[in-house]
Amino acid sequence: MNWTVYVREKMRVLFSLDTWLPTELPDYAAGLLYTLGSLTASSFVILVLSGIIMAANGPQWWTISSVGFYLRGIHFWSVQAFFFFMILHLLRVFFSGAWRGGRERTWMLGTLALLVAIPTAFTGYLMRGDFYSQWNAVQSKDGLNALGFAWFNPLNAGQMYGLHVVVMPVILGAIIAVHIAFIRIKGVVPPYPSHEELQETLHEEVH
Amino acid sequence: MRHYHPRIDVTHRYRYVPADFVKHLLSTTLVVAALTALLSGLFHEPVRPALKIDAYATQHPKGFLTVALGDLNGTGAIANYGPPYNHGTGSVQDIIQQWVGVIHPVYPKQAFVLEPLAYAAHLDPTLTPALNQFTHASPAQQALWERAFGTALDHARVQGSHVLLPGGAYGPVGTMMQGLLHLGQSGLMTGALDRSPADYQFDNQNALLFLQGHPLHSAAKKLELEGNQWGIIHEERAPYPGPWWMTIVTAIYQLPFIANASAADALALGAGMVVFLVLMFAPWIPGINRLPRLLGVHRLIWRNYYATHQADSSDGPSVPS
Repeated sequence: MNWTVYVREKMRVLFSLDTWLPTELPDYAAGLLYTLGSLTASSFVILVLSGIIMAANGPQWWTISSVGFYLRGIHFWSVQAFFFFMILHLLRVFFSGAWRGGRERTWMLGTLALLVAIPTAFTGYLMRGDFYSQWNAVQSKDGLNALGFAWFNPLNAGQMYGLHVVVMPVILGAIIAVHIAFIRIKGVVPPYPSHEELQETLHEEVH
Repeated sequence: MRHYHPRIDVTHRYRYVPADFVKHLLSTTLVVAALTALLSGLFHEPVRPALKIDAYATQHPKGFLTVALGDLNGTGAIANYGPPYNHGTGSVQDIIQQWVGVIHPVYPKQAFVLEPLAYAAHLDPTLTPALNQFTHASPAQQALWERAFGTALDHARVQGSHVLLPGGAYGPVGTMMQGLLHLGQSGLMTGALDRSPADYQFDNQNALLFLQGHPLHSAAKKLELEGNQWGIIHEERAPYPGPWWMTIVTAIYQLPFIANASAADALALGAGMVVFLVLMFAPWIPGINRLPRLLGVHRLIWRNYYATHQADSSDGPSVPS
């Protein structure tokens, strides 16, 4: 297939309304356990919105203004909510064996989102401008330096600011977006078949 | 053992039911917005004021001079750190660190002592002769003065924010160190340390490296924030939640054979990465990829589904295309 046709075809599915705003779901994908992923994504939305307001006002704002202080409180509790719902979502999908039926990439992207979210949050902790930021900057540098990541300099507030407000959230947001698209395209993993259904399917396959 | 198979791995007996995703996503976003707005209003965010050089120099003048002397005579942790800051060997954990090289150059004798003192000499001209005498002396002579100052500092008395040094053959180093203490107490030292060639300040590396040894460690220890105190995931103000999502790496740090290793940081972060890779590649790892089926938690997750569908096989497969 011509690669431009391939890209067009993929984009058509990726950006379709059916992918992002479906009108029907499998009946097994119901209940509170199936809102954990959405709650994680919603926490990310609140993180981005509160982050945009904070970034627009500059890094001093949230340390000296009462409104800024309130906003950073929202940002703080949003990241707590983000990881809280993400870990519950991770547990739900793990115990569901969510990689079955050709959904391995969906699982990998989800775990990758967790991995990328950790330094994204960490750079944010370095932006608090308090003792916690100082301490974690000096503590983390040794491990980063030892692993060859000295380019990532937690003592350089300018670099950490840029990474935290633009680079990391854009990467994380893209991973989350493709993860969600894969969930929709592949469908939410169906339950394990019962013993009886399994026997029937195997019987059909033999014949 | 059977291989995974899309046909036999998943059930084919289910129906599609109407769903309103606009309402669903709006609801979850509003729930999180309301929750975080409420929590911020009630509890805000924990803040513990930063450790400032002027406060430290005023409250711990002898500690300040000890740090500064380590920077001057090259025995300090950063003076002897190694890449990416300089060519020391004290904190080099592995070959990768050396391979990256000196990409954030910091030479504390110059950057933490002599250059800040050169700024201070503009405000206090009595420092200039001492600085000139020191910089024009041989390295051997400088070392003799530094050693004598170290001995005097061991026997010094602290009176308020002053350090009263006994006499000794420390030459100009006494004047220089007292001048640096005054600079530290004035509040101007952070600026002198972090002054960039471009004049705009975006980088606070040197001020943090100046404080990173005893000043920050002693403050952190009291707050149980050190690495061997599960410090990574501790919030500085309990009971606020800290970054608990780093629990696995923090737990690895508590293992004695890692905590006591010379390359503790590299080992702990490396081991954390291995744990993550196991999670990421779980679908392909024999045993782990079948674990959810064996554990049976899915029967609780799909309790209602199993109760309605699989009990009554007359439902039959009903998968829309």
